[in-house]
Amino acid sequence: MNNNYIPTIGIEVHVELKTNTKIFSNSKNGYGQMANSLTNVVDLGYPGTLPTLNEKVIELAIKAATVLNCKIRRQMHFDRKNYFYPDNPKNYQITQAETPIGYDGYVEIDLDGEKKKIYIEEMHIEEDTCKSTHKSGKTYLDFNRAGVPLIEIVTKPCISSPLEAKLYLEKLKELLFYTDVSDCKMEEGSMRADANISLRKNESDPLGTKVEIKNIGSISNVKLSLEKEWERQTKMLDNNEYFKEQTRRFDDKKNDTVLMRVKETGNDYRYFPEPDIPFVYITDEMIENAKKKIPMLPDERKKVYIEKNIPEVNAKKLVEHRELSDFLNSLLDKNVDFVVACNLLLGDISAYLNKEEKKLSETTLTKEKFIELVNKVSSKEISSKNVKDILKDVLETELSIKEIISKSGIKNISDDETINKIIDKIIENNQESVKDYKDGKDRAIKYLMGQVMKETKGSVNPEKAMNLLKVKLQSI
Amino acid sequence: MKKVLTKEEVLHVADLARIEVSDSEVEKYQEELGKLLSDVEQINMVENYDDERLIAPWTEETKLREDSEGTMLNPKEVIENAPRRAGNYIAVPVVISENESEGA
Repeated sequence: MNNNYIPTIGIEVHVELKTNTKIFSNSKNGYGQMANSLTNVVDLGYPGTLPTLNEKVIELAIKAATVLNCKIRRQMHFDRKNYFYPDNPKNYQITQAETPIGYDGYVEIDLDGEKKKIYIEEMHIEEDTCKSTHKSGKTYLDFNRAGVPLIEIVTKPCISSPLEAKLYLEKLKELLFYTDVSDCKMEEGSMRADANISLRKNESDPLGTKVEIKNIGSISNVKLSLEKEWERQTKMLDNNEYFKEQTRRFDDKKNDTVLMRVKETGNDYRYFPEPDIPFVYITDEMIENAKKKIPMLPDERKKVYIEKNIPEVNAKKLVEHRELSDFLNSLLDKNVDFVVACNLLLGDISAYLNKEEKKLSETTLTKEKFIELVNKVSSKEISSKNVKDILKDVLETELSIKEIISKSGIKNISDDETINKIIDKIIENNQESVKDYKDGKDRAIKYLMGQVMKETKGSVNPEKAMNLLKVKLQSI
Repeated sequence: MKKVLTKEEVLHVADLARIEVSDSEVEKYQEELGKLLSDVEQINMVENYDDERLIAPWTEETKLREDSEGTMLNPKEVIENAPRRAGNYIAVPVVISENESEGA
C-alpha cells in the first residue's frame, strides 16, 4: 500500500436492538417472517397514530452507552428527520439529532499489543425504516423492519487505517453482543456499517474531501473497501483530479467501491423536535438497573481465564463462543481443573455441537454433570479416548457420569498391580518386540503400548501404563 | 412583515417534497409560502416560561411502554390499501436504480 497520503476514517454503525417489540409500537420485532406480517397502524404511519416509547429500548441504549464508556444524557428528546421516500410513509424518521442518549465515549482496541482508544462522538436512538427491494423497475416494500429500534454509533474521525477500522468494529460487535444489546448479525442486517474516508498529505493539512462508503456487508469488507478507496483517491490526487463529496458502496463482485450518488447538501432534513414524545428523563435508578444487567465483558473474561492457567489462545477462543464462555463462567466459584474444563468445551464438546448443529443448551449437559466429567478426566480416572466414547451419552441422556461410565463398561484401570499384570501378559506374548526394543528400536515400545491399550480397550491410564511398561522393559 | 420567498427557495422546497411546479405556480408559492412563514413567525412573540424550552405543548415527561407484544394487522389488510402490490409486498415506482439501496 502507498504511503503518500494519510487516511482519516470515521465509522457509523447502526445496530438493531434485541427487544420483543418495536420502538414506538407494540408490534413484534422479528426477522425472516412473511413480508408485512409484523406491523400495525403506527409502523405504517397512519394518520392520527401516536408513538409510545418502549422502555426496553432505553435500558439497552443505557447498557450500550455504558460499555462504550459514553456519558449519558439525563434529559433527552427525539427529533423528526424529514424526507420524502417510500421507506417511511410518515415522511419523517424519528431520531435523536440534538440530544443523543450517549456522547463522548471510547472503545479500546489492541493494535499489535498497544492499546488505542477509538473515540465515540455520539450514540443515538432511532427507528429503522421499512426494507425496500429494487427489482425490474419496481420497488417492493416490507414494513416488518419499520420501527425496529436502532442505535447509531458515530466515531470521531480518529481512525488512521483500514485495519484499525476492522479492529474497532470487531470490538464493538463483541461488546454489544455480550451485553445482549443486539445479536449483531451483519449478514441479516442487524449490524450495518458505513465508513467515511478522506486523505491528506500531512497531519497538519486540513482534512481532504470526504467519501462515504455505505451499507458494507461484513467487517472484512469494511477493511477491504477502505483499502480500495485509499488506493483510488491516491491515484486521483496524484493526477491532480478533482472530486466532490460523494457516497459510494462496496461491490464485492467487482471487489471495489462504486459511485452511488454525489452528496446532497446538508441541512435538507429540516430537523425539529418530535412533539408527540415529551422529554425523556434518565434517572440514576434506570442507569443502575441497566448496569446490573451487564455481564462480565470479553476482556475481563480473557483475563480471568488466563489467571486460571488457560492458554491465551484458548481464552480467546472461549470468548468467541459466548455460550461456552457463559457455561464456564458458571463454574468460576467451583474448585475444578479449568484447563481440563476448557479443553473439553473447546475440543470434544464443540466438535459434537458443530456436527449436530446444536447449542449447548439443547444438550442434557448440566453444570453438575460437567463438573463430574472434568473431575474424572483430571484425576485420570477416565482417558480422553473414554470421553469420546461416552460423549453422546453425556450430552444426550439424563444419566449421571457415574452411571454412564458403568453402563459403557469402562474399567478404570489405574492401580499399578492390575496394569502390571496386563503388561506381563503382553510381554510374554510379544517376545520379538521386546527383543527389538532391547536392540534399540524405539518403535517397538509403541507397538507394545498399543497392545496394552488394545487389551484394556483403552480403559487404562496411558501415561501410567507407559511408565510402568518402561520400568518393566528395563528390568528384563 | 410581509415575506416573499425567492424563486430558488420555492424550487428547493418543491424538490425536497418531490413535486413538480410550473413557473406560474412558483410565483404563487413565493407569496403563499412567504405568508405562511410570517404567520408562523408570530410564535416568536410568545414568552418562554422559566427559560425552559418546550418541545410539546405540555410539560409532562414521556411515559415508557412495557416491551410486550400487542395485536398486529393481518398482512392482507396491510396491502389492501396499497394501489399496487406484488405478493405480500407493497409495490411503488422504482426510486433509485437496482444497485442502490437506501438505509436509515
